[in-house]
Amino acid sequence: MTDDVIATRARALAGALAESGFARLRVRDGETEIELRRAPRIGPAAVVLAPAALAGEPDRAAERPADRAELVSSDVVGIVRLMRPAIAEGQELEGDREVAYVETLGIRNPVRSRGRGRVSAVFVTDGQPVEYGQPLFSIER
Amino acid sequence: MFRKVLIANRGEIALRINRACHELGIATVAIFSDADRQSLHVRHADEAFCVGPGPVARSYLNIPNIISAALISGCDAIHPGYGFLAENARFAEIAADHGLTFIGPKPSVIAAMGDKATAKRIMREAGVPTTPGSDIVASADEALAVAHQIGFPVLLKATAGGGGKGMRAVAAAADLPTAFATAQAEAEASFKDGRMYVEKLLVNPRHIEVQVIADEHGGAAHLGERDCSVQKPSHQKLIEEASAPALDPELRDRLHAVAVKATRAVGYTNAGTLEFLVSGDEFYFMEMNTRIQVEHPVTELIYGVDLVKEQIRIAAGEPLGFTQEDLHPHGHAIEVRVNAEDPDNNFSPAAGTLTTVVFPGGPGIRVDTHVYGGAVVPPFYDSLLAKIVAVGRSRESAILRMERALGETRIEGVKTTVEFCREVLANEEFRAGGIGVGWLPAFLARRAAVVS
Repeated sequence: MTDDVIATRARALAGALAESGFARLRVRDGETEIELRRAPRIGPAAVVLAPAALAGEPDRAAERPADRAELVSSDVVGIVRLMRPAIAEGQELEGDREVAYVETLGIRNPVRSRGRGRVSAVFVTDGQPVEYGQPLFSIER
Repeated sequence: MFRKVLIANRGEIALRINRACHELGIATVAIFSDADRQSLHVRHADEAFCVGPGPVARSYLNIPNIISAALISGCDAIHPGYGFLAENARFAEIAADHGLTFIGPKPSVIAAMGDKATAKRIMREAGVPTTPGSDIVASADEALAVAHQIGFPVLLKATAGGGGKGMRAVAAAADLPTAFATAQAEAEASFKDGRMYVEKLLVNPRHIEVQVIADEHGGAAHLGERDCSVQKPSHQKLIEEASAPALDPELRDRLHAVAVKATRAVGYTNAGTLEFLVSGDEFYFMEMNTRIQVEHPVTELIYGVDLVKEQIRIAAGEPLGFTQEDLHPHGHAIEVRVNAEDPDNNFSPAAGTLTTVVFPGGPGIRVDTHVYGGAVVPPFYDSLLAKIVAVGRSRESAILRMERALGETRIEGVKTTVEFCREVLANEEFRAGGIGVGWLPAFLARRAAVVS
């Protein structure tokens, strides 16, 4: 599978995981395995997408940072505000910065990029209401 | 009238409120936790917001996320249901601060009734009988004097007490000095506070509560009483009835009159319940619940009043649609709580997937539930699965109808209270009516003895 296909499939699975109530979901398709885990809800939540070659050693492969994409979700109910310059698909993030915040009753809940990476998807637009656990972006590390 | 209401609850009561709103032409917003994503209350609402993970402290008690969901979705009111934030005065205040109407009484009234000592004092001042007793007594001699005055048996209680520590029941004067000394020593050891007071001990009283309702224009009425004496050893109600069986008509009238008087005295608005302990021909105020109650359907069925709709109308500023003279009960109603609990194991709650769910139907049966075949019972919440309510012309016909309904009920996947409640309904003492709160624990003890 190409990276794009993996990313698309992982996004669909992330939705399924969120609905299932399970903590972890692993799907195998030929050579590819996608594993999603619910991150502990401390700060903006992240789901780890780990495409890994079944032929190799999946666990070790999953730990390779270059292969990881992180789903950044909202931890609160509020209105999402994108920081400028607004985060966009394909953008390279240099380091940790506040890419957005979710406003809840006038309180800013920052959403940080938490390190380098490439933005693989942006799921929200500026000013959009979001609920708890709603995916905001995915970042490939 | 409101345009859109946020329902700050889950389970059957969230559905109950959703139905009332839709019948009034009001749009609804549900909130849910990660664990309740597939819940029926989410599907029935017009909109829904996930407000947190399964544990209640981070979802159904998450005030910022709940208020935020109400504001984002353009709600003008919040219905809190029962439990969770229903009797949280701060939540009611925060809602008001954000321009949201809290469907319930004023925050100050919620706060006053939420503090047991304050509530008891306010009620006493309003002329409502409260359990006779003393303030802090300095010595065993002083406790003895109080006990002689109010009559034995009495309860010696540590003001800091809890979990039965620092508490002794005393049947006769001769036992008091020793009981006082041991209870006080226990309280000092456990709570570093040996202050004691004396209260009249009611032996096997009945739990009888009066439903009241009041608008913001001075209108107030009662909707009769409910008998909730069938309680588990944990004091949780299991079977409720309206009206109370085998109750002296004069005592009934006094209860109703006192309840309405108290409602006015505390400036109460919206629906509420005054709980009393009834012993012989006396009754004593226990507490006031400033919300809709689980067992409200038994009252609705005999009075033909939709209490949840009335709550919404009152909060919207409308006057009561009736006066006391318009209210007349018809027949008798009984409610059985179907809980995901094991009656053979101290009613310990169970979680799991409901493999089979069949509820009863037919004349005179109402089922308030949020579960369905395949539904998951998460471990985080109250074990109530459904309320089955039967109404009949008489108590006897309501009980027969309930037995028929429980016979039709099939719930598999978790242990439930259905069969146990059938045993209770079949019991002669229960059928005779007028049992006290000590009856079910004694019934359980006898049952356990027979089994072993």
